[in-house]
Amino acid sequence: MTTQTQRSTVPESGQTAEEKVQYLRELYADAPELSKKALENVLGELKSQVADTPPPPIESAGRAGSRLGKVSELTLIVPLAPGGAKRLRAFLQLLGGNLNGADKVGTVHDMRFVFLDNDTKLLFATAYDGDWDAYIDDFATKIPDYLDILNAAFEGWPGIRSPEAKDYLAKYQVTAEGWFVANDLTVAETRRLERNGKALDEFLDKISE
Amino acid sequence: MANQPQTGTAPQPDAGAQKIQQLRELFADATDVGKRALENVIKELSSQVSEPPPAIESAGRVGARLGKRSELTIIVPLVPGGAKRLRTFLQLLGGNLSPGATKVGTLHDMRFVFIDNDTRLLFATSFDGDWDTYIDDFIALIPDYLDLMDSAWDGWPGIRDPGAKDYLIKHQITAEGWFVAEPDLTLAEIQRLKRIGKATDEFLDKVQ
Repeated sequence: MTTQTQRSTVPESGQTAEEKVQYLRELYADAPELSKKALENVLGELKSQVADTPPPPIESAGRAGSRLGKVSELTLIVPLAPGGAKRLRAFLQLLGGNLNGADKVGTVHDMRFVFLDNDTKLLFATAYDGDWDAYIDDFATKIPDYLDILNAAFEGWPGIRSPEAKDYLAKYQVTAEGWFVANDLTVAETRRLERNGKALDEFLDKISE
Repeated sequence: MANQPQTGTAPQPDAGAQKIQQLRELFADATDVGKRALENVIKELSSQVSEPPPAIESAGRVGARLGKRSELTIIVPLVPGGAKRLRTFLQLLGGNLSPGATKVGTLHDMRFVFIDNDTRLLFATSFDGDWDTYIDDFIALIPDYLDLMDSAWDGWPGIRDPGAKDYLIKHQITAEGWFVAEPDLTLAEIQRLKRIGKATDEFLDKVQ
């Protein structure tokens, strides 16, 4: 509780955990009571986490997006063309909203389409394995037509076969500044474990017969 | 292929074919890229529509669910200074939210994305089960982390406030398209499979 004013600077890599936490505390001096109290409640835990066992920082997924371990995030917010929301929604409804065609890509963990701002924009958010370029290439080679049907609603979408397709996507992607993935396995590894588990169950059934 | 006139007794085209036809009509206004793409997959699409995949369901009060996995997508306005505080907090953790998030055993993935020049925040997660249970888990397991981050949100009443859930619902937008690679595996089941995988590897090593 010193009366030091405005001493702290923006966190730099050279700062100690103590300094970083102190800077956060100063920033929270302007926060509502509620969150000041919340900060005080977790301060001890936070300090030890930052100092002793800092989690591995998020890394870049390549051209855009964040990655933790093997799993990356892609978050796109695109303007929709006039009539685009109606077409896209009709297509989604035809599939009962279930985009299981994405399974063909093989590296998609999850994927959502959310209409925003009175159907003028679309949020497309996925969790996937590996690098940005490889992921987009997978979409382009495995389900180019489904992608174009969906993205035809995007204003200015050049088509996935266009050399400008990646620039378009990168332009509208917003990289997450906080990211978390519980399962550090790829989709393929998770499926292998699933088969493994099934085989073990069968094996145990057999030997107990 | 009789060219029967439109009488009341004429066989109705099935509902799937009708839907495909409607989609085609809608796509008449689409770009050439979109029209061509639709024609390329129309056959495959027709057979999918006649044997449709399970439709997405509701995750409870809000949000979509497929099998056991649900989605939550929230876009909230930020208070002045909120983005700066939240960003500093995230940077303290290297952007990796695992310190708090691993305590919620039903949380698969979670992202924080600043949008519209730091005036709004997108918070999107994928989780097991029902909306109410999920929020209750946050409240019970990491209330302080939640308040620390959500205090950047304009009007956030605090997670212990009876108005907290209403606030979340007000800002949540349900996805109209959703996909999960493993919709039938909860996080607990995946972790069990991992332990089994390890044990089998050890077992096989031993018997060799």
